[in-house]
Amino acid sequence: MKALIVAEYTRDALEGIKAAKTLATGNTILLVFGPASTEAENVSGLVDKVYTLPSRNPEAVYNALRKVYEDEKPDLILGVVSKNVKDSLSRLAGAYDLPMSTEVLEASIEDRSVKYKRGILSERAYSIEKAPMPAIILFNPRIFEPEEARPGGEVVKLEEGDTKVKQIGISKKQLSGVKLEEAEIVVGVGRGFKKKEDLKLAFELAELLGGQVGGSRPIAADFKWLPEDAWIGISGKRISPKLYIAIGISGAPQHMSAVMGSKVIVAVNKDKNAPIFKQADYGVVADLYQFLPILIKKIRERKG
Amino acid sequence: MGDIVVLLKAALNPEMVRSKPDGTLDQDAIPLKLSDIDRNAVEEAAKLKQKLGGKVIGIMVLTVGPVAKREKDLKMAVQEALAKGVDEAIVVADDKLTPGDQVQTARIIAEVIRNSGINPSIILASEATIDETTGQIPGRVAAKLGLPYISFARSIEVADGKIIAERDLEEELEKVEAELPVVVSVTQEINQPRPPTLIQIRRAARKPQKRLGADDVKQAIGTKRVILERRIVTINRKQQIIEGSNLEEIADKLIEILEKEGVIKL
Ligand SMILES: Cc1cc2nc3c(=O)[nH]c(=O)nc-3n(C[C@H](O)[C@H](O)[C@H](O)COP(=O)(O)OP(=O)(O)OC[C@H]3O[C@@H](n4cnc5c(N)ncnc54)[C@H](O)[C@@H]3O)c2cc1C
Repeated sequence: MKALIVAEYTRDALEGIKAAKTLATGNTILLVFGPASTEAENVSGLVDKVYTLPSRNPEAVYNALRKVYEDEKPDLILGVVSKNVKDSLSRLAGAYDLPMSTEVLEASIEDRSVKYKRGILSERAYSIEKAPMPAIILFNPRIFEPEEARPGGEVVKLEEGDTKVKQIGISKKQLSGVKLEEAEIVVGVGRGFKKKEDLKLAFELAELLGGQVGGSRPIAADFKWLPEDAWIGISGKRISPKLYIAIGISGAPQHMSAVMGSKVIVAVNKDKNAPIFKQADYGVVADLYQFLPILIKKIRERKG
Repeated sequence: MGDIVVLLKAALNPEMVRSKPDGTLDQDAIPLKLSDIDRNAVEEAAKLKQKLGGKVIGIMVLTVGPVAKREKDLKMAVQEALAKGVDEAIVVADDKLTPGDQVQTARIIAEVIRNSGINPSIILASEATIDETTGQIPGRVAAKLGLPYISFARSIEVADGKIIAERDLEEELEKVEAELPVVVSVTQEINQPRPPTLIQIRRAARKPQKRLGADDVKQAIGTKRVILERRIVTINRKQQIIEGSNLEEIADKLIEILEKEGVIKL
């Protein structure tokens, strides 16, 4: 058995190595690109060989991957989901018709196959599947504890070939650093809010309760009323607070699947037929603009 | 401008998940619908056509069978895409091709593009579908056709045979440039799909549709993934609506409940 781990970030590399060691015994090869490539030496002691590529252009990564794939003939290609990893590996999958699975929750090796479990239907269900090796398996982040970094192994630098897609600019997103996944109380805001200024109702409530504010995808990604690290959902953050208060959120599966770890879910929505009421513990059918000021006032009174 | 190709999926609808008494997924009882972000891809295709001309060709491969049972959903999904801006639809559906997997689907799409006289300038797809959500088909197709690929595009600008796109990464926005032809996957934020007008809906019924079966894509047949078991995630929530004669009373009740649950301390 030979596993090839592909990673853009060192933390993901260390989780990927752990995954490889948990799943399979045998050779482990690591390919690190972009930011992780500068730290290759630090982790090289954990694997048989590290390939490095400074570029994070997924086309360059794909070109490098093809060469490494041909040279190493791995049985299993492993990683942790990230956009550039997904992009470059989907191309490798296409080039060699390899089965590929993403957002995997658990996996095991059986004969010449890999068996794995992953969410489907926007995580309303899960699927247990099997695919013959060689196969590509990308785990959800934080499934595996990262290995302790250890230097001292072989590092091979890969050539950056020419690419057809060229980067002409890059800008950092405005992130707030809010750790919703660690908050005990989260107030979630959705499109029921009519404008950005109105979110102050949610911030006031969160502050009174000692919680944090997060939002649905349209609020964070489209309208940009919240920083993107406050985006809750299967393509944003998964949270499991003691209390989740969803306000003006309809209850789309892509949002709700990521909050199902909450102990108690409260929904405030003016539409009594909103799907969120079937997925909440307590529902308030009301216009948020009328209800929130009253709720805030009452909490204030009680706090004295 | 050559053809504008859009990859489309009639996907299992996660808002209508059904299960059997033993908790296994009752997949046959779950309807298909045009996958959400495919609408953004179609909208972007329509916008490109408005600016640059060309023809919008939609390709849809049915991955869940049996075909006879899925015919109605399939038709609705195709009609929706035609009404929203696709000029011509190619639908690949055959019981020999279901259940499909991504290996086979990508091979079928590449074969259809190669063999149907399509001359793509741009192939648009969504970043992910609502049922499988692995986001791997556009990358696979790009590799098979030897085309450059731009994933997770939040905006695109096409002019003079070139594309400039903004890729939406975890912590950055990355601006990239490439010559056409190119494969692009779009995010939900790229545009606001417009609902079709009545005239568009009526016209959709008359737009050309081509139906292909397994015999038309012989080279592409063959799956690798085996589905062993599918189960629903059970949602056990109290679903209790807090009633009261006015909002003050409801607020009081809510606060008391949450205190009793031990999730707030005032
Ligand atoms: C592949 C994929 C991934 C996705 N990932 C995510 C994700 O990670 N996170 C996410 O959130 N979404 C995600 N989405 C989008 C998701 O499908 C929904 O579109 C989105 O969650 C809807 O956001 P919303 O509930 O804020 O808005 P809407 O669905 O528009 O709901 C607004 C709600 O507010 C209520 N309302 C309106 N006015 C008031 C008022 N005055 N008082 C009280 N209530 C009011 C309405 O009744 C309605 O129920 C994804 C979609 C796809 C296809």
